[in-house]
Amino acid sequence: MESSKELISTKRRSAFKQQELKDQITGLLFTFPALLIIFIFGIFPIGYSIYMSLFNWQVTKGPYIGGQNYLLIFGSWSNLLVLVAGLGLFALGFFVWRKAFQTLNNGQRLAHLAGALVLILGGVIFVTGWGLMYETGNKDFLNSLIVTLYYALGTVPAEIIIGLVLAYILYQDIIGKEVFRIIYFLPYITPSISTAVVFQIIFSSRETSLANQFIGFFGVDPLRWRFEPKPVLNLLGLNVSGLAGGPSLALVTIIFFGIWSFVGYNTVIFLSGLGNIPKEIYEAAEMDGGSKWDRFLHITIPMISPVTFYLSLIGFIGTFKAFNHIYVMRTPSAQNSVVTTSLLVFDRFYKANQYGVATAQAIVLFIIILGLTLVQNKLMGERVFYG
Amino acid sequence: MDNSVAIPNTKKIKKETPAGKILGKAFLYLILIAGALIFIFPFFWMISNSLMTLGETITRKVWPAVPQWINFVQAWEQASFSKYFANSVLITLGTLTGLLFTSILAGYAFGRIDFKGKNILFSMFLATMMIPESVTLIPNYLLIRGTIIPLPGGTWINTYWALTVPFMANAFSIFLLRQFFAQIPKELWDAARIDGCDHLRFLVQVVMPISKAPIMTVLLFGFTGAWNAFQWPLLVTTRNTWRPLMVGLYGFIQEAGPQTNLLMAGAVITIIPILIVYFLTQKQFTQGIATTGLKG
Repeated sequence: MESSKELISTKRRSAFKQQELKDQITGLLFTFPALLIIFIFGIFPIGYSIYMSLFNWQVTKGPYIGGQNYLLIFGSWSNLLVLVAGLGLFALGFFVWRKAFQTLNNGQRLAHLAGALVLILGGVIFVTGWGLMYETGNKDFLNSLIVTLYYALGTVPAEIIIGLVLAYILYQDIIGKEVFRIIYFLPYITPSISTAVVFQIIFSSRETSLANQFIGFFGVDPLRWRFEPKPVLNLLGLNVSGLAGGPSLALVTIIFFGIWSFVGYNTVIFLSGLGNIPKEIYEAAEMDGGSKWDRFLHITIPMISPVTFYLSLIGFIGTFKAFNHIYVMRTPSAQNSVVTTSLLVFDRFYKANQYGVATAQAIVLFIIILGLTLVQNKLMGERVFYG
Repeated sequence: MDNSVAIPNTKKIKKETPAGKILGKAFLYLILIAGALIFIFPFFWMISNSLMTLGETITRKVWPAVPQWINFVQAWEQASFSKYFANSVLITLGTLTGLLFTSILAGYAFGRIDFKGKNILFSMFLATMMIPESVTLIPNYLLIRGTIIPLPGGTWINTYWALTVPFMANAFSIFLLRQFFAQIPKELWDAARIDGCDHLRFLVQVVMPISKAPIMTVLLFGFTGAWNAFQWPLLVTTRNTWRPLMVGLYGFIQEAGPQTNLLMAGAVITIIPILIVYFLTQKQFTQGIATTGLKG
């Protein structure tokens, strides 16, 4: 290429210009089919959802009602204001706290104190806002957010840890590595409707169900599994009720399914990530006499952190999108203890035909996902080690 | 890339005794096998129950005394699977054809052609991966119903188009192919261009033949996506003209209720095609993940 550059004449230059124009046209032409579909079915609907959420839309479009559908969720705008202010203060407190850790001057302790105070204040205001909203707003929606959060916290960390452990073991000198990998990935690609049916039967409330026989082996009385709306903490004998008691046993059953079906994906991605860690680093560490465990802790975990970050992001977004298996595994008697926000929105739309309310709820969900993604990016992105 | 080159294990400075090493290794295998058993168990349970009599499913036998192959025939007929199965095959084929067409072209453009607006377009595509279906579902339903813009034929509810067209492009496939296409040496293109090759011919004759692994990966993910789709087909099919297998199975679940053996037979029928495609493509598939995966 170097020599050809020197030879550029005006004629050549015009040929390059022509190539550039050609590239421009070809590039746009090649992306057009994908763009058309992604725009119509992926991007345009967001705008249209916002539009719909401003109308009293029930199957057909009704009159314009402004933020009324959103008010149904929050109760009143002042509730939302309190909640957002609490969040803002919390973020500010966190920022001050962190800054105090970084700087080593005399005001450090004071800044710590101030940061902690603002942090607590923000938290209190946030909780107050939440309480107000719970009083006057849409309880079902707020409940569904908590259910979604439980589902996310129950699945994502477990999926990451199990996935990493399995991948790390598979990465050693293992006979039959291929076979293990094929088996681990299987639940991820099989249709969740079909596999959820099996979980339904394994975790049925019958005394003879497999899950009940299994716990019976350890002397535990039969449980109602996916029919049980009571929170797990309550079942363990603690006197808490409602959503404060953690996820319901029904949700835990769904969490089991979520972990089972998703771990294989994490394992495969971790495995390919492990392959990208230079072997020399391990060899050097081995020369220094570090144990296997040390190597895992001080080399593998930091080196694999970009993959971990990617998987936790995908995992969290995935839990907010999760629908099929929850829809199949839910039971009427589990009530709203398994209704995540994506199910709630679907019910509002499909069963209740309240399109306007459903789109408003979906938009709020979308904003929450965006916010969480940004926070996750900020918090984890800083710690990730990019080689 | 193959991961079979393991970490050099011992030599040099090692404190572990051979016996300790064997024990450690045995422990690792124990974890792997326990994991494999947990992953495979529901499939085993599905198959064994599908071959039982109803009585055997209730008394919780582990394996049927006499395999009841008739269950499969019964489930197939009761759930009118012939119709749904054919629908699912046609829907999957149509979706995959469209998906390959759009994503190979777009992946190539994003990976190998310099054009204005490329970066904006690409990041816009990627951003769509974050959007929950809850947001797009309702407007898409109205779109397909023909409420927002007039469609050829009035409404697309209960048509083949409703089930295929919206899935004929996705950001994930484009991203995966772009990652691979971008790694192809520039010299290949320079040489081809001197021979008078344009982008389209270069893509078809040079790039595609060497990109079998990532294309297979896109195919496998596309196949599972189309075959396993449930929420959208549930919404846009009100008759069984084009209703796919998953929605049919869901109906069957409601209907067959306590007939566990038939239910399991139905479930087995729906996963067989996926298993066949998975075992056929899994080699290229893992290669595809490894070569295009993330930070390559």
